[in-house]
Amino acid sequence: MATLLDLKSIHKSYGAVQALNGVSLTVREGEVLAICGDNGAGKSTLIKIVSGAEAATSGQVFLRGKEVHFASPADALACGVATIYQDLALAPRLQVYQNIFMGAELTRATFIPFLRILDKKKMSQAAADYLGRLNIEIKDMKAPVASLSGGQRQAVAISRALRWQASLVIMDEPTAALGVRETAQVLDLIRQLHDQAVTIIIISHNMEDVVAVATRIVILKNGLKLGECLTENLTAAELSRMIALGDLGDRNIIRQTAVE
Amino acid sequence: MTEKYQNFLRRYGTALGGLALFIFFAIAAENFLNPSNLLNVLKQISFLTILAIGFSFALTTSELDLSFATVGSLACVVAGGLIYHQFSPILAIAAGLFAGLAAGVINGLIVTRLKVPSLIGTLAVSSIATGVSFWITGGVAFVGRWADAFLFLGRGQLVGIPVLVFWTLIIAVFSLFVLKQTRIGIHMIFTGENDEAARLGGIPTQKMKVLGLSISGLTAGFTGVLLASTLSSADPTAADGFMLTAIAAVLLGMTMIEPGHPNVPGSLIGALTIGILSNGLILMGVEYYVQDIILGMIIIASVSVSASTITKAAFSV
Ligand SMILES: Nc1ncnc2c1ncn2[C@@H]1O[C@H](COP(=O)(O)OP(=O)(O)OP(=O)(O)O)[C@@H](O)[C@H]1O
Ligand SMILES: [Mg+2]
Repeated sequence: MATLLDLKSIHKSYGAVQALNGVSLTVREGEVLAICGDNGAGKSTLIKIVSGAEAATSGQVFLRGKEVHFASPADALACGVATIYQDLALAPRLQVYQNIFMGAELTRATFIPFLRILDKKKMSQAAADYLGRLNIEIKDMKAPVASLSGGQRQAVAISRALRWQASLVIMDEPTAALGVRETAQVLDLIRQLHDQAVTIIIISHNMEDVVAVATRIVILKNGLKLGECLTENLTAAELSRMIALGDLGDRNIIRQTAVE
Repeated sequence: MTEKYQNFLRRYGTALGGLALFIFFAIAAENFLNPSNLLNVLKQISFLTILAIGFSFALTTSELDLSFATVGSLACVVAGGLIYHQFSPILAIAAGLFAGLAAGVINGLIVTRLKVPSLIGTLAVSSIATGVSFWITGGVAFVGRWADAFLFLGRGQLVGIPVLVFWTLIIAVFSLFVLKQTRIGIHMIFTGENDEAARLGGIPTQKMKVLGLSISGLTAGFTGVLLASTLSSADPTAADGFMLTAIAAVLLGMTMIEPGHPNVPGSLIGALTIGILSNGLILMGVEYYVQDIILGMIIIASVSVSASTITKAAFSV
């Protein structure tokens, strides 16, 4: 598989706090990569750097082999990197389709030259289409997001990523606030994206979810990468133990290649 | 009570209250329905509405503009001063508008660059605007025989309707169009609803805040010019009295149509209601200070009814 994203020795400090201490990692096209680790390990910080929400103190980010410098989320979005934040970053009182097209609204020409107005009809239809692709039933595209269930909101946030035609979708704890049924729904959404050849990075504290959807796992601790492992034949209990002990044992594929 | 009925009351209850007020004064206040009185009310409401709409743009991006009234006064003396000194009306109008816009841009930069909360920053700019106004006029008002072309702006009539009413409608329709039909409009709304989400979605939220405050300044500038023309004088406190009434109109407007959101039709009806109220009370011979008391109560009641993310964010320092 070709390399999509390459992070080289990323450091990030917040004043005296060293959130990331030289993390390097590679994301391959089409994979579902999980980033795991204890609270404060630096997971969110790492993805904020990739999504353009924060700038690294030092280190390099390569996208499809080219070095990129994302100064803002808009820059990352323009390169096809869309992030779904833990709080989903929606405007609850605005409508479903408005949220899906937030920041990327469709417009149409008017009889006045150069004056373009919002194409609400087209946006509603396209929004319904994106949600349909995710097999999520939301009847009214004009309903306020506040009236939706947690799973439906997650679907709205994911549709937003689709709207940007993102080739890399990053999700920070997408199931953290959800019930059993809705969690299953979101995992399904992730599989759908995976089937559509979208590359995914997922952060989660739920080991069951991680082993269920991820193809590869990176474990962070105290701003450092402990190692990587594949999810094949990996149980949730085993993964929990690796994170708790801070040791991947012979599961660590990085150490294995180093030994060879 | 059916749900539909409740929803109707939620959206239009305040407007019905305004209508009831109108009927009450029509019956109780002598001369209220007198055409010259209604014309006068309409003029007052015009200033109020234009200022209120400007203020609501700033509030849409979740920023408060407490300077619009004194900035209006500043624009009034800038335009009036130039007219007084025999400069061309075009120049006077442009200078008045520019003064308002400049104050708005300065507000925006103070809030976004210097990170001063708008509640404080615009209050400070308000003080500066008052100071500059008195400086320009030397503490008195410019009064004189002014060019007819300039006077038409605020005193003229078209098909029997004051030109002021047309200005108000043009601004209301244009604002509604911008907020409802354009990308800039919805980007301002997103900025107010969830600043961080909007930023993460690629919306330039800081620019939207500068824009919201600039529009508030520009409409204040326009109101100042209209006041100079209507009064054919320029007083350094000409628009100061509109501060609380315009804010009350917007907050009252947020209790209807789109409850919780600043909205143009709401502001318009809010301004109508407050205009009718203050005129009716005066006609009934109620002491002037009673108006202030009622205004304060309207503000508290409106915000408590429509307490929303936007108002909470805007009013917090
Ligand atoms: N804006 C900030 N200012 C100061 N310190 C920060 C900031 N953001 C994160 N940190 C610190 O950086 C470290 C890594 O935080 P980060 O949020 O990346 O952890 P995480 O792995 O996402 O944890 P969690 O699982 O709890 O979400 C923590 O010690 C945190 O306190
Ligand atoms: Mg986190």
